[in-house]
Amino acid sequence: MSEKDAVATAVLDVPETPITSVMPPENRQTQRTKVRSVSLHLILGGLGILFLAPMLWLFLAAIDKNASWGIEWPHFSLINFKHVLTGSLLHSLWNSVVLAVISTAIASVTGVFAAYSLSRRKIPFKGPLLLFIIFSSGVPLAIMVIPVYEIFSRFGFLSILPTAVFLSVTSLPFEVYLMKNFIDAVPTDLEEAARMERASTFQVLRRVVIPLAMPGIAAASIFGFVNAWGSFVVPLILISPANQQPAPIAIYTFLTLPKAEFGNIAAYSLVFCVPVFILYAVSSRLFREGFVLGGGVKG
Amino acid sequence: MASIPMVDTVTGPSMSELWKTRRDKSRFQWSSLGLLTPAFALLIILFLVPMGFAVYLGLTNLTLVGPTAVKWGYTGTQNLLRLKSDTSFWSSLWATGIFIVGSIAGVVVVGYVLASLLMRARPWMRMIVGGIVVVAWMMPAVTAGMTWYASTTGGGAFATLLGTPNTNFLDNNPLLVVTIASVWSMTGFAMLVMGAALRNIPSEAIEAATVENASSWQRFRMIILPLLRPTMTAIVLLTGLLALANFSLIYIMTQGGPGNATNILPLYSYQQAFTYNNLAYGALIGNVMVVIATIFGVFYVRITARRL
Repeated sequence: MSEKDAVATAVLDVPETPITSVMPPENRQTQRTKVRSVSLHLILGGLGILFLAPMLWLFLAAIDKNASWGIEWPHFSLINFKHVLTGSLLHSLWNSVVLAVISTAIASVTGVFAAYSLSRRKIPFKGPLLLFIIFSSGVPLAIMVIPVYEIFSRFGFLSILPTAVFLSVTSLPFEVYLMKNFIDAVPTDLEEAARMERASTFQVLRRVVIPLAMPGIAAASIFGFVNAWGSFVVPLILISPANQQPAPIAIYTFLTLPKAEFGNIAAYSLVFCVPVFILYAVSSRLFREGFVLGGGVKG
Repeated sequence: MASIPMVDTVTGPSMSELWKTRRDKSRFQWSSLGLLTPAFALLIILFLVPMGFAVYLGLTNLTLVGPTAVKWGYTGTQNLLRLKSDTSFWSSLWATGIFIVGSIAGVVVVGYVLASLLMRARPWMRMIVGGIVVVAWMMPAVTAGMTWYASTTGGGAFATLLGTPNTNFLDNNPLLVVTIASVWSMTGFAMLVMGAALRNIPSEAIEAATVENASSWQRFRMIILPLLRPTMTAIVLLTGLLALANFSLIYIMTQGGPGNATNILPLYSYQQAFTYNNLAYGALIGNVMVVIATIFGVFYVRITARRL
């Protein structure tokens, strides 16, 4: 599930430049290095094809007007996209947006307060609290879904909003951990200056800390969004009204139809991926720029 | 401190009081509690409470429908005894073990190979292959499950590419295929993290070893592996945790079948709770998962907390 991009978002600050010096200096044997380089590229090409092969169907069937499970040269048409972007399928995408936006908002707002407090304040039992946060950021909380189902069904909560709240809890620990690390890196000078001017805690947060830690907060929010967007088992169990089901459930429902509409499945799955890919591109950019916090404090 | 202003000792605060106010910053402030409360209230209500509730639920006779859906209660060790003699549970645990170990091994090996080869490859190659692997990793589990199902079923991409169009790989080797799909969907992460770690290895160390005529295997074992160990441990633990909770990918591809071949614990728990209506028994299986996750989680905390 989307938990997989959890810690990954934290490590996207991968510099682009390779260190060629890892190559052993073998000037005498340029012939040998050339052979090596060619075989290296061949192996990589092979691996790339192996990773690409399972995706082929998705891209080819989406633009094929009479697609099947097989892969073939497509009868090019965009009719599949036209089919899936209407009616209840479009509504499911909208439900996904609602689910992801609400859960991200809850997790990011409560998370940034907690992260600030854990980063700057003296708090009793801070160590155990941090260990608890790390532990629950690693353990996939979605496995708690059966007791949550029982609790929700008692209170009549089996609908989209309470589910959004539960999804926010599944990404909250990692968001807190990520934002705390970013706030730790924000210099305290500006905050102290604001304190001198008798700014309240809330003002310090809003005017100083949040703008400076924005890349981290944005990255954490993107993580929360992607986590909620891709979640399947949680809405499957916790949302009972059919018109509130998000897109992953709609994709699954395709499979239960008596006559499979292959092109539509592929087109819809592809549309469903688009926000994730865009947000990934944004977050990897954020991380490249994110660690430049200089310039705020002069002299 | 020279910057502390002189204060009238009668009307103003004394020197010692000034010292106190200077230390004020590191004292507990009540507003901290206000800042922490929303997040921790959510975590307590929707994580700790359900977790405690699940422990109790596992020892009851709650069902999804029927009389025991309303009037249910504690049944002691009845469910535990059932679990002990439930062959489906033990085969599910076994499948889970294979799935987790296979996912970890595949992700670490393929991730390392990709990371180390891409580092030495041409930029265009790095862009294309790295891009494909990252796209595979970013793909939501439901979509990944769909496209893997399409590719490995009879007449799918792999069958066509290998020239045996009627082979149904998914039916022939279900557990192997879903494990490969799981590796496929998690390798991108390992590749990025190990790539970053590899770039941090000082090139002098490797050059020195090369001068000493160390073989590439020796360079890997003596220099790269020890330096990469913390990163690898983190990847192993996270991959294990994610594989343990991997519901969507397998549910879309096989729904636990054929038979019980790919019925790993999350699917078996779901099946017991919502297909066979045994909510309490499903919760008990969920608790087994929590125990396994906690073992992984404790090690994960130990390696992560060092970086705080």
